[in-house]
Amino acid sequence: MLHDLQVWLVTNIIAHSPVAHMMRTAWGWPIAESIHFLGLCLLIGCIGTFDLRLLGIAKRVPIAAMHRLIPWGILGFVINASSGLMFLLTEPDQYIYNPSFHFKFLFIAIAGLNAGTFYLSSYRQIFGANPSLDAPLRAKLIAAISLSAWVLVIICGRMLTFYRPAPCIGQQTSLLLTCAPAPEKRTSH
Amino acid sequence: MNIDPFLLWLESTALSQWIVGSPSMFAFPAILAVHAIGMGFAVGICLALDLRILGVAPGVRIAEMRRFVPIVWIAFWINAISGVLLLIGYPTKALTNPVFYLKLLLIGVGLWLFSRIGRRVFDETAGEQRAASPIVQRLAILSLACWVGAVTAGRLLAYTYHRLTALG
Repeated sequence: MLHDLQVWLVTNIIAHSPVAHMMRTAWGWPIAESIHFLGLCLLIGCIGTFDLRLLGIAKRVPIAAMHRLIPWGILGFVINASSGLMFLLTEPDQYIYNPSFHFKFLFIAIAGLNAGTFYLSSYRQIFGANPSLDAPLRAKLIAAISLSAWVLVIICGRMLTFYRPAPCIGQQTSLLLTCAPAPEKRTSH
Repeated sequence: MNIDPFLLWLESTALSQWIVGSPSMFAFPAILAVHAIGMGFAVGICLALDLRILGVAPGVRIAEMRRFVPIVWIAFWINAISGVLLLIGYPTKALTNPVFYLKLLLIGVGLWLFSRIGRRVFDETAGEQRAASPIVQRLAILSLACWVGAVTAGRLLAYTYHRLTALG
């Protein structure tokens, strides 16, 4: 089922992409990439700094005060989700069949769920009536997972180029397609 | 001055050929990944400091941001080393491209601004000062511009080179 979804996505994006033409101009792709890297810096600089504070760096800074950086980190994420979508909408097969992209997506999901856990669990404890200067162990664990997940997202992003999907040979048995199915196979379904 | 003999020699070294030619993920791909992670922390923390100086997160004492300075320098040195390795891999690609020198210049100015800003705001005697002076704010704006330029120049290296190797 996931295989069919992948093929469907690639086929439809190729047929209807609204940005492919612009992205294929001389400067489209390079500018989008530069923006993607700047968003990365903003995300790590703001979310990573907050995680480091939870882990015990700059303990004299109130955690709630440091938290004011988070919206800027989220801005970095939005910049990167948007510029990332531009790549995906231009060369869908290079991402949707790319195992490195599958892992990148997984680690983004982990980072997102982890952040959700923070706001559902440790948030009250840290920003409540008695804001402690040292974050509770649970919050430190969440911060460590956050930092690790974002570093893994960067690694997987950088690895995309080296796992470019080739056309499929033979039967695909994995959970997700990791190569572009040959066109004749697509129509044989 | 013709640097081609030097470039040819560098590209013929075992280290250069390993970086470029090895099928190992620990060669070129890992060096690139490390360079991106170092960038995220070094540039990212500098951006966060600039934002703080420009008024974001006013509850954070600016002087306390100095605790993050060692991380900036660790990340910087990780990138200096990984950058040199990438340069050894493709010396012609970088050294014959003016954009590469622009990137180095912007990094140099960015670091200079970082230390100048640091001297003005990380001093303990600055006390409970919450707002940065207009001079420091101007330095922070320049710093932001330098890092945006350096990251962009770095990314454009992949698109603006004239020669990939000394032979090509």
